[in-house]
Amino acid sequence: MMSGKRVLVIDDEKAIQTVIQFGIKLTSGWQVLIASSGAEGIQTAQTEKPDVILLDVRLPDMDGTDIVKALQAHAATKDIPVIFLTAQAQTIEKPQLSDLGVRGMILKPFNSLHLPEQISRILHWSMGGCK
Amino acid sequence: MQADLRQQQLELFSEVTLKIHQSLQLADILQTTVTEVQRILQADRVLIYHLLPDGTGKTISEAVLPGHPVLMDLEFPEEVFPQEHHHLYAQGRVRAIANVHDPAFGLADCLVEFVKQFGVKAKLIVPILRPPTIPFVGGSTANRHLWGLLIAHHCQSERQWLPCELEFMQQLTTPLTMALDQAQRLEHLKATVKARTQQLQETNRNLQQEIAIRRQAEEALRQSEAQLRLMINALPVLIAYVDNQQRYRFNNRAYQDWLGQSPEVTYGQHLQQVWGQEYYRRMQPRIEAALAGQFVTYEEEIGRHEGGLRLVEFSYIPHWDDHQTVQGFFELAKDISACKAGERLKDELISLISHELRTPLTALHSALKILATGRMGNLSADGQKLVAIADQSTDRLLRLVNNVLDLQRIESGAFTINPQVCSTATLIRQAAEVMQPMAQHHGVTLVSQTEEIAIWVDADGIMQTLTNLLSNAIKFSPHGGVVWLTATLLRPSEPLKHQPRHSPAFSSTATTEPVVVFRIRDSGPGIPPDQRERIFERFHQVDVLSARKQRGSGLGLAICRKIVEQHNGKIWVESAPGGGSIFSFTVPIPINTGLN
Repeated sequence: MMSGKRVLVIDDEKAIQTVIQFGIKLTSGWQVLIASSGAEGIQTAQTEKPDVILLDVRLPDMDGTDIVKALQAHAATKDIPVIFLTAQAQTIEKPQLSDLGVRGMILKPFNSLHLPEQISRILHWSMGGCK
Repeated sequence: MQADLRQQQLELFSEVTLKIHQSLQLADILQTTVTEVQRILQADRVLIYHLLPDGTGKTISEAVLPGHPVLMDLEFPEEVFPQEHHHLYAQGRVRAIANVHDPAFGLADCLVEFVKQFGVKAKLIVPILRPPTIPFVGGSTANRHLWGLLIAHHCQSERQWLPCELEFMQQLTTPLTMALDQAQRLEHLKATVKARTQQLQETNRNLQQEIAIRRQAEEALRQSEAQLRLMINALPVLIAYVDNQQRYRFNNRAYQDWLGQSPEVTYGQHLQQVWGQEYYRRMQPRIEAALAGQFVTYEEEIGRHEGGLRLVEFSYIPHWDDHQTVQGFFELAKDISACKAGERLKDELISLISHELRTPLTALHSALKILATGRMGNLSADGQKLVAIADQSTDRLLRLVNNVLDLQRIESGAFTINPQVCSTATLIRQAAEVMQPMAQHHGVTLVSQTEEIAIWVDADGIMQTLTNLLSNAIKFSPHGGVVWLTATLLRPSEPLKHQPRHSPAFSSTATTEPVVVFRIRDSGPGIPPDQRERIFERFHQVDVLSARKQRGSGLGLAICRKIVEQHNGKIWVESAPGGGSIFSFTVPIPINTGLN
């Protein structure tokens, strides 16, 4: 497991924020940054430049794809990998994700203790997949 | 006297003949004859004696002067008319007896005694011969029998009968025979008419009976037909019969609501005329298939006459005659708009509920997992037990929500597989790794074995299938049991070691292209043969005692089947030799791998 990563979590649910924070910290020691809305998330991403962004697809203020577009439009954030957190697998098919420039998808419900491992696999920080 | 007699004779002749023509009553004719003969001959009595079949005889007509005994209706015993006399009279003999007591006339004593009591002194006798029997066949005299005698009595004195008197009597028998003939024909005719009438009456009675029975049957038929029609018309589905010229030959009432025209109008109309060019164009291939003998079912959006599109499910059932020719088809159509809307609503509701459950479940699940690590502070033994219970229950709830969502996704058609080249070894290793903790927890040994074979699958889908089947296998195996996981290549020429039951489709697939068979064998209680097909249906769980202890959603195998079917594969279960079950499923290998 790689150390010293900084993860930005954009999710409006306080409970999810908390379990992600605890889960990631306990298993990896990575730093977790929290944003409760799309606007706040974009702002934090620009100022903090995290290594990865976990983005809830459904936020009250903005749609997930709009946030991704906003991030890609800004030089400071355009290269930060984004992983979707969603409960609606069927609304976004895998080919659509890569079109958007989103690196992967983590389905709710997840076990937050496994998040560092899942993130690493998606971003090829360690080997995963079946190829 | 002689000339006088001749004249009278002629008159009587014509009178009798006339009477015969005028009257059909034999009694009248006979009476006229005896009366006139008595008058002309000036005899004391003239009578007609009729011979009866039993040999006796009877006076049936008489003209007698007052003061003499009346012989009318008197029956004569058989003895007074011996057989030889009978025979002679039948030959045509006539007798003129001047004195009955004169032995020269050779009358039998008993006859002399018999006539004496009536005071007869002289008599004249001529035979009346029976006319030929009707129908008259041939014409010989042998057919002629003695019918009776015309007799003149003289009682005051003896009497020498004149030859002309004898001749007169003799000649009179001709019209009498004629009259008898006529009477006999009449009798015969009457009898024939009577018999025919009886026959006709009988026939008529039979006919009446037959008509009554037929009328009853017709009434019963009408009633049953009316009942059937009532039922067919009351049904809220469209029921019709279409002939092989694509014309309606029957439509129930429901068509009236739909088409806005009565079945009487629709009768005989071509389907194109009834449904219009546009709908007909869409229906035509189905109609032709039905008329080619296929059972056809399809859904189509159809407009009602008052407007509004409805989703209709059509079924065409071909009608074969005795010569196996399709004469037409039965059309059944049902408005399924409401059902479809309901189904859609159900899908949306399930999806919504499941999604709304996922976010709080994520928090719950993760929070419990974090607590269980013990790194948030030490819990007491009881506290740890409670966290473990909460954790297991959350896992179950999660599996249920996931399964419901997966199945809903697959069934609503939103699920599509994304196949890529994968390795059996990688998939089996990953599946074994994922399931190892569960196996350990149940005290079950997990054994996996495979060669490195390239397959063309959706890795996530096959992983889900493998973990699902492994989870079942571990759950149903006893503590200390073994679960095997294998994958083998099956070339077209190789028969399956365990041929699946009830899946003839599989054998045909297996012989044309190489496939890989995954097998998961457990050491559990096995599955009764009658449930081996049904366990792949939704919400079905094996109804055995041990299974009740194992909780599941009853959706896992249904999802596995759907995923395998998306890969054009087959899934089935068999009994393992020596107990337990073997779940197998096939997946395709990539094209151009050199194997085929």
